[in-house]
Amino acid sequence: MTVPTAPVEEEEAKPKEGFWPPTETGLGIIAAILGIIMTILPFLPSFVKAIGLTFVLVWGADSVRKTSRYGLGTGVPSIGVLAVGYGVIGAIAGMGIANVGGDFTIGGVEVLNVGVLGGVAIAALIGYISGIFSNSEKFISMKIPGLERGMTELGVAGTLAFLLESSMVAGTLKLDAVLEDVFLSGAIAFMFVMSAIGMFHPFNACLGPDEDRGRTLLLSFEISGLICIILGIVSIALEAEWLGSLGLLNAALLILYGIVVWVVFYAKFVRRSFEASYEVVGTGLIKTVK
Amino acid sequence: MDPITALLILVCVIVGGLLASLGVHMIPVGGAPAAMGTATGIATGTVQLMFGAALTGLFTASTVATFFPTPKPDEIVGIPLILVALSGAVGAMLMLSFTMLFANMLYVFGAGVVPVSGRVEVDPITKEPQAPYKTPQTDGHGVPNVSYISGWIGAFLGGFGGALMYFVLKNYAFPAYLFPELRAVDAETVSAAAAGIAAAGIFVANAILSAYNIGGTIEGFHDPKFKRLPKALISCAVVSALCGLCVIIASWGLMGGGA
Repeated sequence: MTVPTAPVEEEEAKPKEGFWPPTETGLGIIAAILGIIMTILPFLPSFVKAIGLTFVLVWGADSVRKTSRYGLGTGVPSIGVLAVGYGVIGAIAGMGIANVGGDFTIGGVEVLNVGVLGGVAIAALIGYISGIFSNSEKFISMKIPGLERGMTELGVAGTLAFLLESSMVAGTLKLDAVLEDVFLSGAIAFMFVMSAIGMFHPFNACLGPDEDRGRTLLLSFEISGLICIILGIVSIALEAEWLGSLGLLNAALLILYGIVVWVVFYAKFVRRSFEASYEVVGTGLIKTVK
Repeated sequence: MDPITALLILVCVIVGGLLASLGVHMIPVGGAPAAMGTATGIATGTVQLMFGAALTGLFTASTVATFFPTPKPDEIVGIPLILVALSGAVGAMLMLSFTMLFANMLYVFGAGVVPVSGRVEVDPITKEPQAPYKTPQTDGHGVPNVSYISGWIGAFLGGFGGALMYFVLKNYAFPAYLFPELRAVDAETVSAAAAGIAAAGIFVANAILSAYNIGGTIEGFHDPKFKRLPKALISCAVVSALCGLCVIIASWGLMGGGA
């Protein structure tokens, strides 16, 4: 004999009222401030700059998300590649300005470099102007709300990402030194592709009816971890001499930071996906974590 | 920095950007519908196609550019410029031709559809009828003759523009003699890498703005969307000019500032 049980009322899972995810503007302000502080202080060790890089890439991914939500017509990757296109131009211009002025050197170590911010400003201007052209009725007329702001943010995020990556490998922001380190080794091509992937891949992979902003941005964290691992290996290969005897330690800490970020955020992302799904059934090929 | 050199860089970057934009409007891009065989064009995005073609063009152009010595700061060279730009155009054409050919083979032998245009009743070049071969409810299939020829011209223009930017940036914005402390081979490599990445960045920006103008898919110059071209050209000219300004600033900084 079975006893009828009262139907259990399932509680609606409330979205967590925590720090994550911050509002779009909040994330932009946090990432911009962190990114700019880490960029203008080239003497910081690589793994500290990597924190700035992580936030800048997450900011870029958020901007890609809010502009691509309405449908671009050409696929999400296009706007991420646009961001690195502007980013590489802005970064070269900024480092060119840094080459002639705006830096303060104490005892042979470049402590502060504000010249690069000129390049950031130019990239923001290019992004804003192309946003106006893209949205204007008289020109491309894409009619996407907030495209001007999105493209400006993408230009700034792309530029900051390139500047941070270059200074992580070369330890300086002067164009001649960066060209001889980052460009000669070919690391720039890797940066070009991976920065774009860090920005466009999260939304490109997660878009759809059940897209969740907090979960999408976790993917961007994970990709920034991958970038840090490989940049650490590049630093070792280039014998990152800019910190003197601490060069190897610096690169090792960067790799460690990358591995930790990658593992933690990959696990977080998978867990969030499992939580959002109706049921998780294993195929037997991979052990189910739940 | 020499004002004439700066002007040359600016003009060549703007011309390269405009050619990139024009090229994007002429290559047959099908996007997601073409992946299901229900629209004319190659089944991928504009960015992937044009960037792939331009990068192949940059490879051929940079190979040909190694045959010529770096010109002196105030020397304007004509023949090497044209040869390098043409070799870039040929590289881009080859890449796009193979892509279109194999896309067509997949459509014809794999999906079993006839390459046919969805926008015109009669092929404007070969005068072949199109409408009877089109599956109802679709927008054409594969890469028909007119789109193939349009794609050739587009890849030629895009590759020419990309290689033009590359040659000017390599020899006038980031020339090898700016790196005297490196070995000669390394100096050439640095110069080529900086020019290549900067040219790729400018090219991508222009190609993507043009891709937004055509809304992601186009069949070629016979497509009604081609009439939107002037709007993209104006936008690309302004954006290219700003990008050219960035490169001039970088080059000015690399040369140690000053007039």
